[in-house]
Amino acid sequence: MDPKAFAFLAAGIGVGLSVIGAGIGIGKLAAAALEAAGRQPEATGKLQTMMIISAALIEGVALIAEIFSLLFVIL
Amino acid sequence: MANTTNLDNTQLQQNHQINEHATHSTDTTAHSDNQAHAEEGNVMIKILSEHLLDHNSYDFYGVFHFDLPIIFYDNGFHFYANKKAMEAEGTFKEIHHEFVKADTGNPPQLNLSITSLVMFQWIAMLLLFFGFWTAAKKYKKNPEKAPSGLQNLIETLAIYVRDEIVRPNVTSESLANRLTPYFISLFFFILTMNLMGLIPGGHSPTGNLAVTAGLAITAYFVINGSSILHQGFGHWIKEFTGGAPWGIWFIMIPIEILSMFTKPFALTVRLFANMTAGHAVILSLVGLIFLLQTLVVVPIVTGFTLFIYSLELLVAFIQAYVFTMLTAVFVGLAQGHGEHSTEHH
Repeated sequence: MDPKAFAFLAAGIGVGLSVIGAGIGIGKLAAAALEAAGRQPEATGKLQTMMIISAALIEGVALIAEIFSLLFVIL
Repeated sequence: MANTTNLDNTQLQQNHQINEHATHSTDTTAHSDNQAHAEEGNVMIKILSEHLLDHNSYDFYGVFHFDLPIIFYDNGFHFYANKKAMEAEGTFKEIHHEFVKADTGNPPQLNLSITSLVMFQWIAMLLLFFGFWTAAKKYKKNPEKAPSGLQNLIETLAIYVRDEIVRPNVTSESLANRLTPYFISLFFFILTMNLMGLIPGGHSPTGNLAVTAGLAITAYFVINGSSILHQGFGHWIKEFTGGAPWGIWFIMIPIEILSMFTKPFALTVRLFANMTAGHAVILSLVGLIFLLQTLVVVPIVTGFTLFIYSLELLVAFIQAYVFTMLTAVFVGLAQGHGEHSTEHH
C-alpha cells in the first residue's frame, strides 16, 4: 500500500479514537452535572459554569488530537 | 481520490479485455473523465483553502476582487501595492505560494503583509470601536435613561462578563476592576471575529493559528503579569513550588513551569480548532453535492448544513465565553495559590 494511504488511515483512526474519548468524557460530565442539578436545582447556574469549563478542557485535549491527525494528512 | 482513480483504471482495463471492440477513443474519454474527477477534488481543496487560509487578496465570490498590500522587512522595509507590483519590481518573487528573494531564494526576514485576515481583524476592531463609541455617547447624553438598542446589547454582555466571568474568578476586587476592561475587549473581539466567518464573504480570523496564538500570548502576559504586579515577584517565584513540601519540589517545579506554557497553548489550539472544524464541516458537506453530482443529496446536505451553521453560531458565542472564562480562571489561579499558602504558613 502507498505510504500516503497509511497516513490517511492513521488520521482517520486517530480522529475516531479521540472522538470516542471526548464523547465518553463529556457524556460522563453531563450525566454528573444533570444529576447534581436534579438534586440541587438552586445550584444549576454554578454547575453550568463549571460544566462548560470542564467540557472545554476535555474538548481541548480531543481537538489537539484532531489537529495532529490533520497534520498527518497535510504533511 | 488516488484510490478511486486506480479503481477506475483497473475496471477500465477489465472492460477493455472483455470488450475487444473497445477502441482508442473510449479509452481517452474515460481518461479525461478521471482527470475531470481529480480536478473537481482540487477545486474543492482550493475552495476550502480560500475560506480557511490567509491570502494577499480578497475575493467576494468572483463578484469583486482586490489585492492587498505586501510589506516585507529584509534589511529595510519593502512596500508593494500588490503581488503584481512586487513581481514587477523583481527583488522578491512567488514560488509555490511562498515569497522568496529572487537572487538567493531565501524567504524575507519578516513578512508583515496586510493579508485578508489582518483586514478582517481591522474590520472587527472598527466595528467594536464604533459600536462602543455610540454606546458611550448615549451614556454621556442621558445617563439616567434606560439603555436601548445597541447600547442595551453591549451593556448586557459587558455586565455579564464582569459579574459572571471576572469577579467570581479573580478574587481580589481591585485586580478584578483593573482587569475587567481587558476581559471585556477580549470577549467582544473574539466574538466579533468568530461571527465574521458566518457572514457570506467573511472569514473568521480566529480560524488561524497565528491570530489565536497572539491572543493567547497576551493572555499569558496578563496571567503572569497580574500575578507579579499584584503579589510581588518573590511570590510569583514561590508559586512554582505549588505550596508543596520541599521533598517533591523536583517534580513540582518542572510541572508548574510546564503548565505555565501549556495553558496558553491549550487556549490557542481550542479556539483555532473549534473555528476551523466548523468551517471545514460546512464546506465538506456542501462539497458533497459537487462530488456526487446528484440532486438527491441536496435536501439532506442543506438540512445538515443548516444544522451545523446554527451549531457554529452557538460555538462562536461559547468559544468567546470559554476563552475569556479560562483566562479569568488562570488569572484567579495565579493569585489564589499564593493566598492559600500564605494562610497556612
